[in-house]
Amino acid sequence: MPEFEVWAEKYRPRSLKEVINQKHVVERLKAFVKEKNIPHCLFAGRAGIGKTASALALANDLYGKGWKATVLELNASDERGINVVRGKIKDFARTKSISDIRFKLIILDEADALTSDAQQALRRTMENYTRTARFILICNYSSKIIDPIQSRCAVFRFKRLSEKDRKEYIDRVVKGEKLGVDKTGMSALFELSEGDLRRVANLLQASASLGKKITGDIVYDVASRAKPKDVKDMLDLVLKGNFKSAREKLNDMILIQGLAGEDIIKEIHKQIYSLNISEENKIKLIDKTGEYDFRITEGGSALIQLESLLAQFLLFSKK
Amino acid sequence: MIIMPWTEKYTPQKTSEVVGQNKAVEIFLTWFRAWKPGKKAALFHGSTGVGKTCLVEALGKEKNLEIIEMNASNFRTASKIKEIIGQSIKQKSLFKKGKIFLIDEIDGIAGREDRGGTRELIKIIKESYYPIILTANNPYNPKLRSLRSYCLLIPFTKVYYWALINRLNLICQQEGLTCEKEVLRQLAKRSSGDLRSAINDLESLARESKQIKLTDLEKLGEREKETSIFDALKMIFKTKTALAAKLSIQSVDKDADEIFLWIEQNIINEYEEPEEIAKAYNMLSRADIFRNRIKIRQNWKYKKYMIDLMTGGVAVAKKEMYRKFSRYQYPDRIKFLGRTKFSRKEEREKLTELSKKLHCSTKKIRKEFLPFFKADLL
Repeated sequence: MPEFEVWAEKYRPRSLKEVINQKHVVERLKAFVKEKNIPHCLFAGRAGIGKTASALALANDLYGKGWKATVLELNASDERGINVVRGKIKDFARTKSISDIRFKLIILDEADALTSDAQQALRRTMENYTRTARFILICNYSSKIIDPIQSRCAVFRFKRLSEKDRKEYIDRVVKGEKLGVDKTGMSALFELSEGDLRRVANLLQASASLGKKITGDIVYDVASRAKPKDVKDMLDLVLKGNFKSAREKLNDMILIQGLAGEDIIKEIHKQIYSLNISEENKIKLIDKTGEYDFRITEGGSALIQLESLLAQFLLFSKK
Repeated sequence: MIIMPWTEKYTPQKTSEVVGQNKAVEIFLTWFRAWKPGKKAALFHGSTGVGKTCLVEALGKEKNLEIIEMNASNFRTASKIKEIIGQSIKQKSLFKKGKIFLIDEIDGIAGREDRGGTRELIKIIKESYYPIILTANNPYNPKLRSLRSYCLLIPFTKVYYWALINRLNLICQQEGLTCEKEVLRQLAKRSSGDLRSAINDLESLARESKQIKLTDLEKLGEREKETSIFDALKMIFKTKTALAAKLSIQSVDKDADEIFLWIEQNIINEYEEPEEIAKAYNMLSRADIFRNRIKIRQNWKYKKYMIDLMTGGVAVAKKEMYRKFSRYQYPDRIKFLGRTKFSRKEEREKLTELSKKLHCSTKKIRKEFLPFFKADLL
């Protein structure tokens, strides 16, 4: 059996030339490639518009075929603690680059997941290894990156992609996979992907597993199957006074499905408006949700905090 | 004449003489009468000294059965179990009418180092020609989970205060002791439902004089008992005093994080009013914040706040004490984490691999890719 290939990866640009739009960024990056020199960079922008793709394409254009040996990819949200990051960076940057480019490249993705303490430490690391390594930090919001780091970086803001840009990407995949997407399918893709090309690719691939012809109905169907209905079910249960089952649902989402607490609480907040309770109580619940969201940010563990939030919902239950 | 300790001298000769366990005796006898090879074993559970072993011995005497008794903590590996009992479960008794097997203290079995111990026991239960009785202090120990489904659980309660006093009184009469009334009351109280320890105390007092006064009680060493988590939970959920709740966990042999999970699991087994549940969980949420401050700052001074909130805070969340018996459960979370330890590790490794291939964090893979392609990717 051939290995499962993820389209989001298959259709990732190999070179800066293939990056969809982001012209203002790409032109400058191309100039860096020409000069064979880059400063530390900070890429900021929403999900799925080409930040990581541009960083990898840059690496490919800069170092050529064997780029993987001179590039270290790290993910701040997976590496626990700045010490791990520093250790890995140190090991990597200690040796000289083997290509004709003098420095190695360190791509630190999801850098906004680092606490400000960790960022302070990172700043020293960046300074210490400037001669042998350059950093590309990637984040959603540059405001979450401390000023001293921002001031050491060339900041690149990635723009939202227009419908035309997204269509270009869809066409690329459609051509490559020999698919047919009708008008309804196209507008469904636009609507559901919210401008995120990674999601476009995933929606297309999941829809295509049902057949080469892709319609709006199919896309919506696929998307709804992937959408966690669990949060709504959980809230319905607790509002019926069935805390025990709601708690089990929560356990399932966090412990088995491995969903992040922040994502669940975000969804809870969205769902409150469609709950069958009075408007006044909706506002009370939103206040509570905000408070527990804050407690999670303060370092509370997601499971306990969400469970406690559910218990607050119980106050508005009808038996 | 051989001097027998009173606990043996006054051990019940018939099942009907077992003190304070009418319900357990009844269930047990029904089970025993209906037992045929292949049926479930009986699992006696309850704290020490309440008559679990006594009941088996009494049945043996009553029905003229050979009792093959062994202590599970002595043989913990599968091969040892097989060696010691594997044979005899199919052999006839030489001298008596039948046999029963008593395997004591199975709590002690099945640690990490005794892989296969429980599996072997299950095999023995399935194959035995004779009834098997197991005893445990805490049958809800997760180590015993698989074993549990092959057993009929028979709970032994603590021996009631008045039943204790009656029994002690009877012994006093037989031994010709004169004893202040208050002495027996105190003995019964301090035993907290453990008949064996009460009889032992009485015997040691009687050794010095046939007349026992209240002041003699001071000679008895305090029997320092480790409070079980169940007792602590009972205190936390029943008391309305914050301090009492806090003190209840002091002699529990578990760390604060684990006790936290026990309390979390059992709030809804005790409290029924939404207001109480919401209040109690709010307290846990606050305690959780302090717990994480301990971790992040490595500063243990926050621990007292965590403990106060999770015990006292939860205790005062109720309006009135619930006059009911609540069955407190082992935390789901610990069960779950234990059960899925390996599969979670495997999944984590696969995700890390994928994270390199797909150039994004495992968190993002979970959120963006797994909803669509879980079966293909993992």
